[in-house]
Amino acid sequence: MGGAPWAVPVPVPIPPAAPGMDPAEAEFLAEKELVTIVPNFSLDRIYLIGGDLGPFNPGLPMEVPLWLAINLKQRQKCRLIPPEWMDVEKLEAIRDQERKEDTFTPMPSPYYMELTKLLLNYASDNIPRADEIRTLVKDTWDTRIAKLRLSADSFVRQQEAHAKLDNLTLMEINTTGTFLTQALDHMYKLRTSLQPGESAQSQDF
Amino acid sequence: MAESRDSPDPAGHDSDGGSEELVLTPAQLIRSLEQAWLNEKFAPELLESKAEVVECVMEQLEHMESNLKRVKGVDLKVGIHRMEIERIRYVLSSYLRCRLGKIEKFFPHVLEKEKSRADGDPSILSPEEFAFAKEYMANTESYLKSVALKHMPPNLQKVDLLQAVPRPNLDSFVFLRVLERQENVLVEPEADEQREYTIDLEEGSQHLIRYKTIAPLVASGAVQLI
Repeated sequence: MGGAPWAVPVPVPIPPAAPGMDPAEAEFLAEKELVTIVPNFSLDRIYLIGGDLGPFNPGLPMEVPLWLAINLKQRQKCRLIPPEWMDVEKLEAIRDQERKEDTFTPMPSPYYMELTKLLLNYASDNIPRADEIRTLVKDTWDTRIAKLRLSADSFVRQQEAHAKLDNLTLMEINTTGTFLTQALDHMYKLRTSLQPGESAQSQDF
Repeated sequence: MAESRDSPDPAGHDSDGGSEELVLTPAQLIRSLEQAWLNEKFAPELLESKAEVVECVMEQLEHMESNLKRVKGVDLKVGIHRMEIERIRYVLSSYLRCRLGKIEKFFPHVLEKEKSRADGDPSILSPEEFAFAKEYMANTESYLKSVALKHMPPNLQKVDLLQAVPRPNLDSFVFLRVLERQENVLVEPEADEQREYTIDLEEGSQHLIRYKTIAPLVASGAVQLI
């Protein structure tokens, strides 16, 4: 009898970082987007590692990354100007088009969801008709996620190998993404293990 | 007296960073760290080690920290710089943690790949990661031995870790965004009835596809995993 090695399942420690991306990390990326603020203080130009900002002059609008804008707003050092797409008529048009079409409409910002959430949370006093905007964006999001669920379902059923998803934003992809890719992985493992003569290459789970 | 600038002049950065062939501005450096972070997060296997990027980013952070220590008062400016430092630090730690997680998960395969790579090929482990992986493997082996194996009959005391530990699944699906246009990328369907076909990847488009066929594009930076 030969010394066949044990196929011992090696104890897998909890990985330090979860696979895929959680919403907080998608928000982290969105926070790099530039937004317009009107500061109420003055400060000369600052030289961040990621680029230069300023100078800050009271009353003069300027662009800063969202993470800084939110922080300054919380310290009551500025007023936020909503992006030009954050307007009831424009959002109504987008929502209607999304409901009409089967495909995904291009969104005015790749981070529309995160921008809406952060700006409405921290600066709703600077945004006219904030509640209506919140509802409109949520409706559009719901429609898009429903469409995404349908196309993910047909992707899995028809065993497609490729899909093009141009007008989807990162937050939408991340919401269904991890579940979808793990489901596809499981399906793949189930299907390939049905093939006869599969050598003893253990795949886990 | 003119107030000394409390941040490094971006233009004067060129000579730092040692082995970089390309001279990157700090902003580009941070951008490439973020790209490496996202790729590592979504790729099923351990990717090439971006040790130079990590090193340069750490240098930038240390430089900025030491500048900030020198400046007294000026709360707002210092606060803003510190916030940026924290953000960059988060990306860096998350990137390194992600890699360590994969090293722990796939350690025999990672070491095997590193051992068998050709001299010209880029390394997938930094020197510190390599030492970590070897130590992890040695610890696991001695753990298994002392807890279970030495109590087994003599002819059953071997464990082949390469077989026992699951490989990364290169056939998993990933989402990607195209940075450089690619033509004729092969799509391999898994059912035998479907034939393979090729697609073109337009710049700026987003796709869902199996990792295996586009792995070289991730390594070359032509696509970005999302």
